[in-house]
Amino acid sequence: MRGSMRLQMITQIARKEFKEMLRDGRFRWASGIVFALLLASVVMGGKHYRDVKRQHDLAQAETREQWLRQPAKNPHSAAHYGIYAFKPKMAPAALDRGVDPFVGQSVWLEAHKQNEFRFRPAQDATAVQRFGELTAATVMQLLIPLLVTLLSFSAFAGEREQGTLRQLLSLGVKKTDLAWGKALGVTGALGALIVPATVIGVIALTLTSENGSLAASAPRMSLMFTSYLLYFASFVGLSLAVSARAKSSQMALVVLLAFWIVNGLIATRAITDIAKRLYPTPSAFAFQQAIDREMQSGPDGHDTADKRAEALKQRLLKQYGVDRLEALPVNFAGVSLQEGEEHGNVVFDKHYGQLWSRFERQNRLKQIAGLFAPMLAIQSVSMGLAGTDFAHHRAFATTAESYRRTLVKKMNDDMTYNAGKQNFSYLAQPALWQRVEDFRYEAPSTAWALRNQTISLAVLALWFVAALTSALMGTRRMRVD
Amino acid sequence: MKHEWRTLVADRTLWAITPLFALLIGYGVYNGSSWARFQQSTLEAAKQEERDRFAKVKAECAAIEQGGQPASAFTNPRLPSVAAGRTGPRYALAPPAPLAALSVGQSDLYPYYFKVTSQSRQTFISNDEIENPTNLIAGRFDLAFVIIYLYPLLILALSYNLISAEREQGTLAMMMSQPVSLRTFAAGKIGLRALVVLALAAGFSLAGFLLSGAASGAEGAWQRLLLWMAVVAGYGAFWFALAILVNAFGRNSATNAMALAGLWLALALLLPALLNVAVTTIYPVPSRVEMVQATRRASAEATAKGSQLLARYYEDHPELTAGRQADPNDFYTRSIAVQDETERLIQPVIDHFDRQVTGQQSLVDRFRFLSPAVVAQAALNDIAGTSAARYRHFLNLVDVFHQSWRAHFTPRIVQKALLGAGDYDRFPAFTFREEPAGAVARRAMVGPIGLLIPTLLIGWLGLRALRRYSVAL
Repeated sequence: MRGSMRLQMITQIARKEFKEMLRDGRFRWASGIVFALLLASVVMGGKHYRDVKRQHDLAQAETREQWLRQPAKNPHSAAHYGIYAFKPKMAPAALDRGVDPFVGQSVWLEAHKQNEFRFRPAQDATAVQRFGELTAATVMQLLIPLLVTLLSFSAFAGEREQGTLRQLLSLGVKKTDLAWGKALGVTGALGALIVPATVIGVIALTLTSENGSLAASAPRMSLMFTSYLLYFASFVGLSLAVSARAKSSQMALVVLLAFWIVNGLIATRAITDIAKRLYPTPSAFAFQQAIDREMQSGPDGHDTADKRAEALKQRLLKQYGVDRLEALPVNFAGVSLQEGEEHGNVVFDKHYGQLWSRFERQNRLKQIAGLFAPMLAIQSVSMGLAGTDFAHHRAFATTAESYRRTLVKKMNDDMTYNAGKQNFSYLAQPALWQRVEDFRYEAPSTAWALRNQTISLAVLALWFVAALTSALMGTRRMRVD
Repeated sequence: MKHEWRTLVADRTLWAITPLFALLIGYGVYNGSSWARFQQSTLEAAKQEERDRFAKVKAECAAIEQGGQPASAFTNPRLPSVAAGRTGPRYALAPPAPLAALSVGQSDLYPYYFKVTSQSRQTFISNDEIENPTNLIAGRFDLAFVIIYLYPLLILALSYNLISAEREQGTLAMMMSQPVSLRTFAAGKIGLRALVVLALAAGFSLAGFLLSGAASGAEGAWQRLLLWMAVVAGYGAFWFALAILVNAFGRNSATNAMALAGLWLALALLLPALLNVAVTTIYPVPSRVEMVQATRRASAEATAKGSQLLARYYEDHPELTAGRQADPNDFYTRSIAVQDETERLIQPVIDHFDRQVTGQQSLVDRFRFLSPAVVAQAALNDIAGTSAARYRHFLNLVDVFHQSWRAHFTPRIVQKALLGAGDYDRFPAFTFREEPAGAVARRAMVGPIGLLIPTLLIGWLGLRALRRYSVAL
C-alpha cells in the first residue's frame, strides 16, 4: 500500500516536471534544434552509408572481373597484377563514422608486399572537418548531455532559491522520492525527443539500406542504443546530484558546463597526446626501413638473401635426391618465390603486429580514461558496435592480407608444379584465375565487438551507478534553504 | 579604471583561471613542438638514408668503372635508368615552418616528404605518416586548440557578468549617482578587460613561440608571430564584443552566462559542423574508390597500347632479360611511357577530384565568416604553415622537381649513356622554398580583418544598446 503511494507521488512529481519543461520556451527551442540535428545527421549518415556501400560493392565486383579477365600470362605476373580489397561498411556505420574518414578505404593485394591502406577520405576534405563531423553519434555524445544539463541544473537549486523546496518537503514528500520524480521527469522530456527521433531514424535507415542488412545489424543497433541510454542516464544522475549540492543554481550550471567541456572537448584531445607519449609509434619512414632491412637480412640480421637462396637450393637438391637445379622435378623459381613470400610474411606479421598492438594499447588507455570522462567510454563503445573502430579495421586488414597470401601462394604453386623448365616464359591459362576464390569478408560478430569494449562498458556501468548513487545521496543530504 | 583594476585583481575567477590556462598552453605547445620535432627527425633520417645510399652506390659505380661487374643489368648503378628510379632518387622534403609547433592543423594528414623517382607521380605521391586513426578523430591538443575553443571560454568567464553583476550587487546605481555616464563607465570597464584580453593573447602567443623553441632566427618567424598575435587578438576581441552585447540586453548574470555559452556552442561547434555538411553536400568529392578503378582500367589500356610483343614480354618478365643481351633501358623507357599514358588517361578523373576539392575550399573560404572559429582556424593554420594551401605549394614544388628530374635523365637513358661515380653528385636536388611571405600574409590577413569587422559591428550594437540599459533591477 505504502509502496504504491510512493510510486504515485513519484509519478506525480515526474508529470509536473515534464509539463513544466514542455512549457519552457528555452527547452522547446533547445530540444527542437537537437532533434533537427539528430534527424538530419541520421538521414545524411544513411545516405552516406548507401553511397559508399554501393561504390565498394561495384568496385569489388569490378576488381574481381579484372582478375578473371586476365589473358594467359605467367602466374607471377598475375600475382603482381593482384587485386584490390575495398572495405565494406555495416549498417550502423550510418550512425557513427568512427575512424573511417581517417583510414584508407582500399588496399592493393599484390606479390611480395603487405601494402598500406591508401586514400584517407579526410585528406580530400577541408580543414573544417576537423571541427568534428555531424553524425548521430556526435549529437548523442555531445549535445544530448548538454540538453540534460540545461534541463536539470536548477532541479533542486532552483526550487530552493524560490522557496518551493521547503514547501514540498513540508507536505511530507520524501527527498529520495523527489529525486526519483525529478529524474523521471527529465527522462520523460528526453524521451519526448529520443523516441520520435529513433522511430523516424529507423524508418530513414530502413529506406536507405538494402533489405536485410538493417535487420542483420539489429542486435548491434539495440546494444548501441542501450549504451547511449546508460550514458544519458549518467548525466541525469550527475546533474541532479550537482543541483542538490550546489550553493545556487548558477553555481550548479557553471560546474555542470565545466564538466561538459572537459568531458566532450578537452578529455578526448588531452588523452590522445598522453597515449601517444606512453605508447609511441614509429614514423612511416622508420617502419619501412625496418621492414626493408629484415626483408634483406632476416629478422636476426644474419640471414642474408643470398644465404637463404643457397640453403633453399641445398635443401631441395637433398629432398629430391638430385645434384643440380635443372634435374629438379619442380620449378625452382616457383619454390624460391614462395620461400620469399614466407619470409616476407614473418617480417610483415612481426612489424604490423607490433604497430597495431601499439594502436590498440593507445585505444585501451583511452577506454580506461573514460573513468574521468564518460565520453571516451561511449565513443569507444559506439564505434565498436558501429563496426567503425580500429579493431574492425584491423580485422578487415587481416582478412585481406590472408587472402593476399593465399592468392600469391596459388600463383607460386602453379609455377612450381607446372612451369617446368620454362621459368618466367611459362604462361598459365585463365582457368587458373578461376581457381582463386572470390574475396569474401565476414564482419566480426556482435559478441566479438562487445568483447573489445569490456573496459568501456564497465566504465559506463560504473558511471551510471556512481551518478545514480550520488544523486540519491546528494538529495538526501541537501540543504532545504 | 583604477578601481576596476582593483576589483579585477580581487576577482578570484581570474586568479583561478590564469594558472589553469598557463598549464593548458604549456601542454598545447609541448604537444605541438613534439610533433614538429618528430617530423624534423624523420626528415633527418631520410637525408641520412640518401647520404648513405649515395656513398654506397658511388663506391659501387667506381668499382664497376675499374672493371668490376654489376650484380645484374637491372641493378647496374651506371645505367641512367637504374639511377633515376632505383639507386639515385632524392627526397623532396618540406620542413615544418617556423611556427609549426603552434598549430598541428592539417599537417597530421598530409605527407611531408616524397622520394621522387623517374616513375609517374602516382607511384610516389601517397606517402602517409603512420598514425592511429582513433587519434586523428580527436585531433591534437595544441596551442591552436586552446585558442580556438578555450580562449573564448576564458573571455566569457571574465565578462559574462560585466555589468549585470554590478547591477545585481547594487553598485551600479551607486556608480551612476556619481558624475559618470554609463557609457564612460562601461567603456572603462570594457577597456580594462579588453587590455587584459589582449595582453593574454600577446602573452600566450609569445610564450608559445618561445616555449616551442621555434626558430626565432628563421626567416619570417617574427612577422608570422605578429600575424598570429593579430589573429588571436581579433578573435579575443570578437568574443569580448559579444559579451558586451549580451550584457547590454539587461538580463541577469545567469541568463547572460547561458546565452553566451549557447552562442559559443553555436559559433565554435555547430556552425563549423554544419558548414562542413553544406560543403560536402554541394561539392561531393567523388570516392577515391572510383579513382582506383579508373587508374587500373587506364593502366590496362596504356599497357595494351605500347604493345609490341617484346615490350610486353619484358614488362612481364624483367628478370629474364638479365642473362640475355636485352637492353634494360628499353624496359624503363617503355614503362615510363606507359605510366605517362596512364596518367594522361586518368587526368580527367583527377581533374574532377581537384575541381570538387577546390570548390569545397572556396565555399569554406566564402562562408567561414559565419563562424569566427573557422576564420581563426584557417588563419592560424596558414600562419603556422600547416594548412592545405602550404601543402599544395609543396606539391607544386615537387611537380617542378619531378619534371627536372626526368628532364635530367630521359636524354641520358635514350642516349644509353653510362654514369660515373661523379655524375651522382650532379643529379638535380630538391630545395624547399617557403611560400613567399607576402602570399602567406595576404591569406592570413583575411583572419584579423574577417574578425575585426563583426567585432566592430557587434561592439557598436552593444554600446548602442547600453544607452537603453536600465540601471535598477
